[in-house]
Amino acid sequence: MKKIVLTFLVVAFAAVGVIGLSSCGGGDDTTSGGGGSDTSAEGGEGKEGGILKATYASFPDYMDPQLSYTAEGWTAMGEVYIPLLTYKHAGGAEGAEVVPGLAKEMPKISNGEKTYTLFLRPGIKYSNGKPVKASDFPYAIERLFKVNSGGSVFYTSIVGAEQFSKTKQGGIPGIETNDKTGEIKITLVEPRGTFENELALMFAAPVPKGTPNEDLSANPPPGTGPYMLVNVKPGQGWEYERNPEWAKANSKAMPEYPTGTIDGAEVDVIRNPQTQVNDIEQGKYDWMQNPVPAARYTEVKDKYEGSQFLVRDTISTYYFWMKTDRAPFDDQKVREAVNYAIDPAALERIYSGQIKGTQQILPPGMPGYSKFELYPHDMAKAKELIKEANPSDMDITVWTDTESPNNEAGEYYDGVLKELGFNTTLKIINADNYFTVIGNQSTANLDTGWSDWFQDYPHPNDFFQPLLAGESILQTNNGNFANFDNPAINKEISKLRAEQLGPEQESAYEAMDEEIMKEAPWAPYGTRTLDTFVADNIELDSIIYSPTFFEYLTSFEFKE
Amino acid sequence: MAIDPQPEAVPVAGGPDPAFPAAPEGASSDRGPWYLAYKRFVRNKLAVSFLGLFVLIVLFVLAAPIWANHVAHTGPNDSHTLQKLRVGDEVREVVTPEGRPIGPQWFEADGKFFLGADSRLGRDEMVRLMYGGRTSLFIGVIAGLITTITAVILGLLAGYYRGWVDAVIARILDILWSLPVLLFGIALGVSLQVGGLGIGPLEIKAGSNWIPIFVISVFTVPYVARPIRGEVLALSQKEFVEAAVAQGAGPLRLMFGEILPNLASTLIVFFTLSIANNMLFEAALSFLGAGVQPPNSSWGTMISVGEELLTTQPLLAIIPGVMIMLTVLSLNIVGDGLRDALDPRSKVRLEAHTGMVEPEGASV
Repeated sequence: MKKIVLTFLVVAFAAVGVIGLSSCGGGDDTTSGGGGSDTSAEGGEGKEGGILKATYASFPDYMDPQLSYTAEGWTAMGEVYIPLLTYKHAGGAEGAEVVPGLAKEMPKISNGEKTYTLFLRPGIKYSNGKPVKASDFPYAIERLFKVNSGGSVFYTSIVGAEQFSKTKQGGIPGIETNDKTGEIKITLVEPRGTFENELALMFAAPVPKGTPNEDLSANPPPGTGPYMLVNVKPGQGWEYERNPEWAKANSKAMPEYPTGTIDGAEVDVIRNPQTQVNDIEQGKYDWMQNPVPAARYTEVKDKYEGSQFLVRDTISTYYFWMKTDRAPFDDQKVREAVNYAIDPAALERIYSGQIKGTQQILPPGMPGYSKFELYPHDMAKAKELIKEANPSDMDITVWTDTESPNNEAGEYYDGVLKELGFNTTLKIINADNYFTVIGNQSTANLDTGWSDWFQDYPHPNDFFQPLLAGESILQTNNGNFANFDNPAINKEISKLRAEQLGPEQESAYEAMDEEIMKEAPWAPYGTRTLDTFVADNIELDSIIYSPTFFEYLTSFEFKE
Repeated sequence: MAIDPQPEAVPVAGGPDPAFPAAPEGASSDRGPWYLAYKRFVRNKLAVSFLGLFVLIVLFVLAAPIWANHVAHTGPNDSHTLQKLRVGDEVREVVTPEGRPIGPQWFEADGKFFLGADSRLGRDEMVRLMYGGRTSLFIGVIAGLITTITAVILGLLAGYYRGWVDAVIARILDILWSLPVLLFGIALGVSLQVGGLGIGPLEIKAGSNWIPIFVISVFTVPYVARPIRGEVLALSQKEFVEAAVAQGAGPLRLMFGEILPNLASTLIVFFTLSIANNMLFEAALSFLGAGVQPPNSSWGTMISVGEELLTTQPLLAIIPGVMIMLTVLSLNIVGDGLRDALDPRSKVRLEAHTGMVEPEGASV
């Protein structure tokens, strides 16, 4: 999943199922949480039309389907780029169900679960009027590798992809297509239990052949969804308009995909979340994508809960990473010391009660989660461990982003490290490009810092492969911030993801969670609740909270 | 050999100084101009009382370690999120589970959290206020010194040599003058805070307080250098300079031995006023995240932290704001008083050039 840059938003609902479902939307609206095939947003109580005025606290990491790997970016582009498979438009566990997108039906899986065959629906066009071709899919996957996307790690199991990621030329032989019949045949090196989920991520959304292999955030490529991006001004905002091809062609080819009621949306980046809250209260904006800031949380909750404000559990982990391949964090004792020194109870207050303390990788609600606590808060023990380890390099840089309260969490962490005897420099980076900066191995002094992770799909592999597998250590757009590379764990990760998830695999993931935490590449501290705050002219109950894309743009409706 | 600057420095404009009518004027020859200035300043009750206020503020911030170690028993950056305060029989949480910091305790908790906690990190607001004041004053004074020294050198060179030296220096100052100071300061501050700065052997680490000092110094130089250049232009035509030339004085001696002493009164005024301006500049930069970096405090960063809680705990933003206001006000009044005392006929004014008291540009 994605990182949430900010605290973000959304989401969660996630809780997929486990937690969130019951709290979903009050139930007085048949569309809420109703799910995919009922085409959601349509037929709610609201009226058709209108331009949604929305605000984000930061600009997404990228406005490019192959590159974006944050919740902001996925929320922003979820209704613009439709992959071959997609997630059901529903809240809760149902929203994690993979359904056909541009593909006619779910893939036929053959050849010992190594070959996936899909057929493109005929007649689908990009917003620029060009027809979508089967060969656009491999083009998008190749583009993913060519732009060094953080999402490329999901597709290296395709035959030849590993090689292609190095040479970046010659194509990927594991994907065969036929533009006439729309057939797409994908062959994997080994079975991969999560592959359908991964085909439903925006990384794999087709883009027209010839789309430049570079960051297109300022001028995003055409998509196939009900809305298209226009007027993107990086750092400032963007707009949505109806995709002209949607009514003409695509909605007929994909009748179960929601069309949405609003005519479009205008998004402004407003970096002060306090201002955002005031603007929503005054009706200047209809929706804020990021959560209400901690300082206003209690007030907004008391005043608007149920009418304009909803709180959801998410499947997420907030953590501090430590670069395990360089001093002083190459010493396991130092990393253990940090885990003992961090007190999730203090961070719960810093997040105004919006996180629940945990000290492990998998969050509650994720299959394989089983609570354990290897490092109960114990400052004396932490100091003792540091003394034993006696690290030679005590000068470290601590990284976090500007989004409150992540910046305060960073200040807290900085203070804890100082108490342990480190000389720290705190770097608070603009939330727009925080993950780009810390995901670039050539950034100087990446020692330790803050991050978070929200599930991409309800499978524990999503918390291990992109974040803690050796193969996910990338030069740029790195997701394995700890540069954690343990051969035994790497092997276990690849073994487990080849299998279908069952009770046996779940307990293996459970063991892996503890195994990794024994090595302490992270100091996890909590799982987050997120909220949605809208103006009083928006139907709160019709908004669908997907565990993957959070609020779906097609589910916003103005009240009558 | 230097000529007494006082009578020469300024063309006579308005007859005898009303503060010193005829008789003392005659006596002044054996008392000296500085004594006269002192007398004039002391007669300015307003300036004297604000000088007293400024001294109090300086003492207040200098007392920071005493308060921190003996009263509050905490450092300015120490977090107390989970700590509980015992007030009589009552136990109060420094930060509630909902993340609300404790309000002012005054002396109820023996001086701990005198002004309450600053944020959800539960840091002692009073301790941060004192240490933050040190930072703000330090930056204001050091940047003022750097500005003044640089401006004097540039002003002397331009005013003395004239010609192309003057042309180059004056144009560079014009360019700096024409930049939108606050926007540029933010841009420079932010980029330096990320990457640090290395000029030859001089290296400023990212996050260091020397970065706002550097930024402020660069942008305030023209406001001091241009009027100084003008004065040097006028002074270098004076008879005492010609006399020194006749005695064989070289350019260095003329600039620093003859002209500079005549600038002293102007410089003292400029320096005082520029500290005030620099503190405002620093506050604005810090408020916008381009100045003093967390977790360190300055009055500007404290306003920024307090702004978040403006609706529930307005004191957190108001107190550092009032401190800035009092300090700047006292420096301005003292500066005006000094100008009146040192050079009653002077028309030099250091304008509040930065105008960044209200950072409108930010989405506040």
